[in-house]
Amino acid sequence: MSQSTLATLAAALAWVALIAYAVLGGADFGGGIWDLLASGSRAERQRAVIARGMGPVWESNNVWLIFVLVVTWTAFPTVYAGISTALFIPITLAVIGIVLRGAAFSFRSNYGREVGSGVRWGYVFSIASTITPFLFGTIAGALASGNIRVSTGPPLQVQDNPWTTWTTPFALTCGLFAVALCSVLAATYLTIDARKAGDDAVAEDFRLRALVAGAVTAALGALAAVLAISEAPTLWQGLIGKALPFAIAAVVIGLATAAALLRRLDYLARVLVAAETACIFLAWGVAQWPYLIVPDVTVDNAASPASVLGPLLIVSVLGLVILLPSLWYLFTVVKRTPRRSTPSVGTGVTTAAFVASLPLADPDVPPPHTAPLSAQASAVVLPALPGGPTMQRIAPVLAALFAIAAAPLITGIFEGMSRGMHRGMQQGLERVQRRRNQRHRSAHAH
Amino acid sequence: MNSEVAARASLAVSLAFHIVFAALGIGLPLMFCIAEGIGLRKRDATWYVLARRWSRAAGILFVVGAVSGTALSFEFGLLWPRFMAFGSGIFGLMFTFEGFCFFLEAIFLGLYLFGWDRLSPRTHWLCSFPVVITGALASQFILSVNSWMNTPTGFTLTNGTATNIDPIAAMFNPMAPSQAIHMLVAAYQVTGFTIAAVYAAGLLRGRNNSYHRRGVLLGMLVAAAMIIPQAIAGSWIGEALARNQPQKLASIEGLFQTTAHAPLALFGWVDTAAQQIYFAINIPDMLSFLAFNHFDATVTGMDAFPQNTWPGPVLVPIAHLAFDTMATLGGLFLLVPLVFWFFYFRQHRAVPTARWLMWVLLICSPLTFVALEAGWVTAELGRQPWIIYNIMRTSDGVTTNGGVAFFFFVFLAIYIALAIATIALLRRLAREHKTFNPEKKVVGSAE
Repeated sequence: MSQSTLATLAAALAWVALIAYAVLGGADFGGGIWDLLASGSRAERQRAVIARGMGPVWESNNVWLIFVLVVTWTAFPTVYAGISTALFIPITLAVIGIVLRGAAFSFRSNYGREVGSGVRWGYVFSIASTITPFLFGTIAGALASGNIRVSTGPPLQVQDNPWTTWTTPFALTCGLFAVALCSVLAATYLTIDARKAGDDAVAEDFRLRALVAGAVTAALGALAAVLAISEAPTLWQGLIGKALPFAIAAVVIGLATAAALLRRLDYLARVLVAAETACIFLAWGVAQWPYLIVPDVTVDNAASPASVLGPLLIVSVLGLVILLPSLWYLFTVVKRTPRRSTPSVGTGVTTAAFVASLPLADPDVPPPHTAPLSAQASAVVLPALPGGPTMQRIAPVLAALFAIAAAPLITGIFEGMSRGMHRGMQQGLERVQRRRNQRHRSAHAH
Repeated sequence: MNSEVAARASLAVSLAFHIVFAALGIGLPLMFCIAEGIGLRKRDATWYVLARRWSRAAGILFVVGAVSGTALSFEFGLLWPRFMAFGSGIFGLMFTFEGFCFFLEAIFLGLYLFGWDRLSPRTHWLCSFPVVITGALASQFILSVNSWMNTPTGFTLTNGTATNIDPIAAMFNPMAPSQAIHMLVAAYQVTGFTIAAVYAAGLLRGRNNSYHRRGVLLGMLVAAAMIIPQAIAGSWIGEALARNQPQKLASIEGLFQTTAHAPLALFGWVDTAAQQIYFAINIPDMLSFLAFNHFDATVTGMDAFPQNTWPGPVLVPIAHLAFDTMATLGGLFLLVPLVFWFFYFRQHRAVPTARWLMWVLLICSPLTFVALEAGWVTAELGRQPWIIYNIMRTSDGVTTNGGVAFFFFVFLAIYIALAIATIALLRRLAREHKTFNPEKKVVGSAE
């Protein structure tokens, strides 16, 4: 493949990861925003739904951000270095927000909200969750504005005004738009979570919030587009040109999301709002193409050589093949109802219950660690491997990763299958029973 | 505070903070994996309680490690944009591998933490294996980046840019295997000693039950299992330094003249101006032996290199002291588990609970962290003034932005606050369970 194709693919990879971060991680920020805005007599119940929904998944959602960063600095070193230099202030503030958000969420849930320090960490969590996406939005706005001049060097030289680049009306509107988008995502997802938890009142709260936030998002999006005409002309030209289909799709899907929410089609709304977010990011990316930092840095002039991009893409695609099923497994397992309601209270008793619930002694459990052990071994042996084509040398690492993911996944899938079969059998039996009853009844009627 | 000093201080604070959580994040999964495995096999509730508690602690530590790691991945660019512009294409692939490992670790740790009540016991136990292995692998890739800064390979330098980039060759740079294994084993040692210390403290307070005894036992088991690997890794890294970075070895050993029969100077203050080392304990021929396995081997001294490539009058003595601190403590950590297991077998396979031994274990735990930090300080200061050895000076990699000093103080404050909060939380977690006595409550119902 040519250098240019590889660079395009790498940019697409970064963009896909960015969309994943927006759709998944954005909702976690939104959770924090709704935590801050929780109100009325059901405020605590709303907060509980948010905490339950985020708890198990926010950390892996957060890793998408790291993935975006890593792909960016590997494939486009000058973009990463240039953005970090030009937007030092908003990025520093965003990092502070990310650190405080994550730590505070974990501290709060471990302290329990009622306790004094739990409440304090709760505020840190929700305020940091609101500020961080705002800063990300302003960063995005600044990149499109054309106010950052980069000479790729060497040495790399960056010129911009560190204070005004990200505080133009356009960039600030982008920041608010990001906050609004996060809140729509979160509110839509939380409607389902609350409905599942059997709390219809809270579900209605979130449905209403999703609709209001959706309207706000639409208004801010329109405002940003209008401001772009003068402040980010390259972006605007792209939006009414090559990115027009995506822009229109975003608007249409946005309206469809609102309609789905109005008609209480929660699950449809969830899919639509995720699709809408993806369309917004695609519209932004395509409109700005081929610029990564307008007007000096493009996908082609910033890309690493093919010898870097090739392995990066191979590793990433194979990595995602392992990652996505694992992620799917995580999302399905945490949605299961736990066997007990309060896992961490009274360890003595609960552990006894846990041990009692173990299946009968099963001494000939096959040693499940053979694959991971050999994986470990190959990781140790790796440095000693002789040279050769790239794939041959990466292969053992990939094989190791596969083995790692495979062991619990296979067990998990088997477990899921046996569960499904069990449920299916039960339903079948019930159906037979019901039919028999019906026949009985109709026979009696005759 | 100028930009370079501030940037170095900022990254030093962040890494010094992160390394603690990273080490425990690598080691604790191994501990709860073993504990749960024994619990599953022996159908023993006490092991389960141990595993479950460690997993909760690991959950808290992992979050702090993950957020400080996320912060680090921004800090590289914020503080060292020119270094990243030059090198991130070369070592980016290692971070990509590390990223996937970390991703899988986060996923399976999530499964482990939230799966106690949702998965079958066996599946749940299996979920700990990916956490153990991805944690260990991730450390290997990160250390590979660090060792690349020491022995940069996999590219050709033309007019200040890197060409002919081979990311795989960069990954397997000469210092990579020894550094990576040394760190991984150290992480297990730190965790083993820390776990042992936590339960030694309980035993010292009179809570002599199987729960506490097993905590000490498993901690010491891991610490003992690491004796041989660490002895090998330690001498391996010394030899690798002598071969690949003789200047770094000379700096951290305070060896000024190239000489055969080089003595090993323990402690003392290195004076780079007078080219002397004061108050040191000299062991004749030892450095030659450590570096080349011969008592008469010639070891390169600092005189072989121009003065403007020395780490400097302040950093050399600090690196030397840090190295000796690590090495001395390292020896202690090889000895203590031996003593423990000696008494274990002499008492016919009963966990020794003598108060003096418990005190030793209690003191060893903070010392393992001291050794960990000292080792890292040695590795980083010994490389100065280079950020990429012989390629780019640290002062050429730093950001041109002002305001780095402000960045430093803000992050210092945040990390101090996080450290205090984490310790408070872990203490709370420990208190929650301290009344737990397996002999009274569980054994009957477990059968």
